[in-house]
Formats: sequence, structure tokens, C-alpha cells
Amino acid sequence: MKFHIWLTLLVLPAAILFASNNGLARAEDDVDDEGVDVEGEDLEVETSVTGDEEPAEPTGPGASPDADTTILFTNPVGTSNLDLPGGKLVEFLVGFTNKGKQDFVLETLDASFRYPMEFTFYIQNFSTLAYSRLVKPGHEATLAYSFIPAEGFAGRPFSLSVNLNYRDASGGFFREAVYNETVQVIELEEGLDGEVFFMYVFLAACVVLLLVGGQQLLVSVGKKRGHISRKPQVETGTNDNPNDVNYDWLPKDALKNLNNQQRSPKQSPRQRKVKRSDD
Amino acid sequence: MGRWWLLALACMAVATVRAEEEEASARLLASKHILNRYLVEDMDLVVKYTLYNVGQTAALDVHLDDFSFPEEMFKVVGGQLHVKLDRVPPQANVSHTVVLRPTRFGYFNFTAAEVRYKTSEDASQIQVAVTSEPGEGAIVAFKDYDRKFSPHVLDWGAFAIMTLPSLGIPFILWFSSKSKYEALAKGKRRRDE
Repeated sequence: MKFHIWLTLLVLPAAILFASNNGLARAEDDVDDEGVDVEGEDLEVETSVTGDEEPAEPTGPGASPDADTTILFTNPVGTSNLDLPGGKLVEFLVGFTNKGKQDFVLETLDASFRYPMEFTFYIQNFSTLAYSRLVKPGHEATLAYSFIPAEGFAGRPFSLSVNLNYRDASGGFFREAVYNETVQVIELEEGLDGEVFFMYVFLAACVVLLLVGGQQLLVSVGKKRGHISRKPQVETGTNDNPNDVNYDWLPKDALKNLNNQQRSPKQSPRQRKVKRSDD
Repeated sequence: MGRWWLLALACMAVATVRAEEEEASARLLASKHILNRYLVEDMDLVVKYTLYNVGQTAALDVHLDDFSFPEEMFKVVGGQLHVKLDRVPPQANVSHTVVLRPTRFGYFNFTAAEVRYKTSEDASQIQVAVTSEPGEGAIVAFKDYDRKFSPHVLDWGAFAIMTLPSLGIPFILWFSSKSKYEALAKGKRRRDE
């Protein structure tokens, strides 16, 4: 019996906590509800609607309570602790809902990289895109923005701050920090690029060079040791092989005379000459 | 004893039901993106619409309509400019592609399309959303694009014909002298034999 009482006493508060956001009793500040009509430029500084990690902008107009913004990164996909590849396109969509009764004009969207510790220290400003988009009451609009983080920033964390500037029909000017969180710029590991390929070619050439050097060394060492025991080669000319004589360089007439002379060897050239002179 | 159990169960049931009722609505972010690198007259232009649901429930009865392409300037060759989707699940995205063909060249401002959907099952009003705009684009005349990118087969053929004299004349000179020397050599050999 007692056990069941204890169980219920534990379950009941847990259930209440789980069910509602404000289950615990706490003192709430009076939120100054400005109502539908937003007039003039002296609005009080409010924390941004979406970002609740970093402190709010120190000065300047804040967000309008009639507007609701949301951000979605389409490339690369994610919401927090993003890893942005350096040198590649980063795209995101900003959704804007007009919950009030007046028209809103979305003017510009700008993004910047800031120092993570020091919010006001700008490292890089990206282009400010001007849309001038009219959003009627009750309607939603989507804005697309893209930028490329520099490759040289790889390995460093930054605070990416995306701000939307808009105004309402009565001239009130608002600036809302749509995204204000720390991101990491990473470097993509390329599979096989030019540098790596030529490095391998160079290493192969070095190996081949070493092999050639080794072979030359072996040959020179072998020569020095010498092969004196080998028989000295003596040149014998054509005595060994009479069939090995090359007659191609002789003109054809001389060859014919030679053959004739061989057929009749008894006749000497002097005798022949005497014979002719007789004619 | 049984009563305490019932009370515990009732609390759990209430808790779970309460949790589901809060903040359960759909929210669509719509992007419109031109996939072409070059916009050329009389050549295909591809437009991609992507709907992302960042809400907690499904978006129902989704209509995507694009009225920004006038009939006299663009011809639809693939896909539809007016789409109806029954539901887009939460934390999911849907994409739709349309292929158009511009009939005129010049500058054209690509404006947004409209999306209408119901944020939840029992929503009273239709939520209207506007997609992102691709911005202004220049549609190049086909003549200029062709001059830059076509294979130019006829031009290369004419070039080949024009270079024939500068190659042919030295060849003819060489060939004539070669045949003359061959004839000479043949004559001498016959005389020798």
C-alpha cells in the first residue's frame, strides 16, 4: 500500500512537469506587449526570437513581435554545430511569417563571420542581398541565401551571424538575428588530386633511379675485379672461313674478271698483255 | 491500492495527451531555383521547387502555383506549373521540377511562386506562403549561343579546304622530283646489267 502511494507521488509531479512548460512556480517578468500598432523608432531592446545562446545585439532595433523567423540550412543539412566545408557553397532558407495585421517589407539579409568570443569583432562580411519582398498579413515568405566560406579559414571556429532587416507599413525598422551560433569551417579531404598523383610519380622515379645506380655500381665493381682468367681474343681475319668473304662492295665488272682469272689461272697478266700488243 | 494505480495511470495519460497538443503545426519553407547555367531562347530551362516542412505535423492539401511565367514568353514542355500534393510529412522535403522553353530573349525577372497549405487537420484558414525568387536573368538569343557553343562543322570543313593548297603544293613538288629520280635510277640499273 505504502509503495503505491510513493509511486503515485513520484509519477504525478513528473507528469505535470512533462506536460507543461511552466509547471514550476516562478516569477515572470512583465513582458511589455506592444500590441499590433508599432509606432516610432524607439523600441525597447528585445532578445531575438530564435537564437538564445549568444547575447543579444547591444544596440539597434530588435525584432518585431508580429514576425516569426526560422532558418533551415539546405546545404549542408543541419541546425547546430555545423561543419561548413571551406571553398564550397553553403545555402540556407530563411522563413518569415507575418503574424500581425500590417504589411511587412523584407529589405535585406546579411551574413557575417565573427570572432566567437568577441561578438562585435567582424572577421568577414558576406554580401548583403536586397530582396524588398512584400509580405501581407497572415502570409509567409521564404528567402534564399548562399555564400562560400574561404578555404583559408579551414580548421577554425567562427560565429556565423545572419541578420534580417525589415520594416513594417508604418515605417518601423526592425533587425532580427535569424542565426547566431558557432560554426566550424572544415577542409574536405580530396581523394586523389594533382599534388598526390605527382608525388607518387616522383617517388617511383626515385626508386627507379636507385635501382639504376645500384646496377651501375655492381657492373663497375664487377669490371674492377676483372675477368683476367678469360682467354685473350685473337683476330684471325678470313683465314678460318673463306665463305665468309663479302664481295658486295666490288663493282660487277671486276668480279667478272676475277672469276675468269680463277677459271684460267695459267695465263699471267704479263703474257696477256704481250698477246694483245701483237694485234 | 487499486485507486492509487488508477490515479497514476490517469496522470500519465493526461501528460502524454497534453504533450501532443502543444505547438503542433506545419511550417513550409519553399524555394524556387533555376538549374540552368545558361538561359537560351528556344532551349530548355529547368525550374526546381523544393518544399521543406520544418514543423511538427504534416502540411495538408498543399497547392503550388506559379503564375510568374506568361504564356507568350514561356512554353511549358515538361511538368506542371500548378501542383497539388496531399501531404508533406514533418521534417521532410518534396521537390518538383518544371521544364520551360523561353520564346523570347532579353532580361526577365524570375519572381516567386505561391504555396497554399493547411497547417493542421483542423486549421480554419489556409496558410499562404511565397517561395524564394531566383532574381533577374538574361535569356540569350539563340544566334549568340550557337556562335559560341555549336560544333561549327561547316566552318572547320571550309578551313580544311582552304589549307589544302599550302599542304598540296610542297607535296606535289616532292612527288614529282622523287618520281624523276626513281626513273633515272631504274634506267641506269638496266644499262648496268
